[in-house]
Amino acid sequence: MLLDNNRRFVVRSFSLSLIVGSLGCASAPLHTEGSSSSIRAAEEVGAAKVPRAGLHLQLAKEELQKAKRLEEEGEKEEASSMLMRSEADAELAVALSRDERERAEGRAAVEKVRQLRMNNRPSSGANPSSNEGGTL
Amino acid sequence: MKRYLAPITFAFFAILAGCSSTVPRELSSAREAYRRASTGHAARVAPAKLHVANQALAKAEVAYQDDPESYRARDLAYVAERKAELAEVAASIALAKKSKVDANNEYQSTQGKLVSETKQDLSETRNELAASERSGQRTAERLSEEQKARSAADERAASALAKLAAVKEDSRGTIITLSGSVLFASNRSTLLPDARTRLDQVAAVLLDTRERNIVIEGHTDSRGSDRSNLELSQQRADAVRNYLVQRDYQADRIQARGLGETQPVAGNTSAEGRANNRRVEIIIERESRTSSR
Repeated sequence: MLLDNNRRFVVRSFSLSLIVGSLGCASAPLHTEGSSSSIRAAEEVGAAKVPRAGLHLQLAKEELQKAKRLEEEGEKEEASSMLMRSEADAELAVALSRDERERAEGRAAVEKVRQLRMNNRPSSGANPSSNEGGTL
Repeated sequence: MKRYLAPITFAFFAILAGCSSTVPRELSSAREAYRRASTGHAARVAPAKLHVANQALAKAEVAYQDDPESYRARDLAYVAERKAELAEVAASIALAKKSKVDANNEYQSTQGKLVSETKQDLSETRNELAASERSGQRTAERLSEEQKARSAADERAASALAKLAAVKEDSRGTIITLSGSVLFASNRSTLLPDARTRLDQVAAVLLDTRERNIVIEGHTDSRGSDRSNLELSQQRADAVRNYLVQRDYQADRIQARGLGETQPVAGNTSAEGRANNRRVEIIIERESRTSSR
């Protein structure tokens, strides 16, 4: 009898904790921090000025808004899933901006070498139209 | 083994996809993006990112298998596509960085080489300049010595001439005056024997200064006509010139001109004055010049 009471208590406690737990999960706010901070990072590296990066930044923002709207509509799982899209787009926007910067710096470095070589080209071969030493 | 993992995974999911009826657009795009990334630079340059993309695609495929119509399958596929693109961009960044590093190294190397070459050129130029300065110094010393030697020769000549005839200096140079009566008989232009001896002595001195130009001027007193005096003075100047040329003085450096009675040095009223006016002047010019008669 005592054992039955204890078992009942355990079962009730477990059921209660499950209900409380599921209620807690249902009311947990949407974690938009990851997406928001990725969007901020993309803005800070100048994604808006790089066409392809700007497009993904815009998508990330729209998806964040959509996730918030879904949350308001009670579609929490769908909202969380949408946030993944937002974060992935923001992350890609950051990478595309860095790529653009790195490539610009690479081009500038190559141009610097080209200029250095051009400015220090031996003068003997500088004037191909010269007739010195040749017959006219 | 690892290098074959991506294509095997891709083939596996492709087979799965073939079995399914309708593949969501997001998933087909993700598969294509991953295929592109795994066959491009990302496999070599950004393997970690490509691995992440591979896992994301696998997750999407599983979700698709669980429920082909679910938003979760589409969202995971969308994320997988972005991860594959991210792997490609990471590879691009790595290659751009490498290109930049290579270019910077090349710049440093080229600059170092140029500095080295410039230093070498500078050193050679300095050596050439020093050699040129030494040569210039030697030339200056030689010129100075030649100048001294010429001055000494001039002084010796002037001293020697002073013993032979009246010598004076004016703006034209050194003027040696020989009395007409010593050189010529009256109204004649043939040199007297004594005159030859005297001219030999003068010529010996002149030959010491043979690089100078000489002008020989004949002068007469005022007796006789101007014309005859002019002719006589020219003939006498020519006689002296010819004699000096015979004595090896350069012909193109001697001019002879007769001035007649136009430039007296004394009055023509007295016998003494006229004797002084009858003269031949040998002018040794200061400046060298190329001349002929």
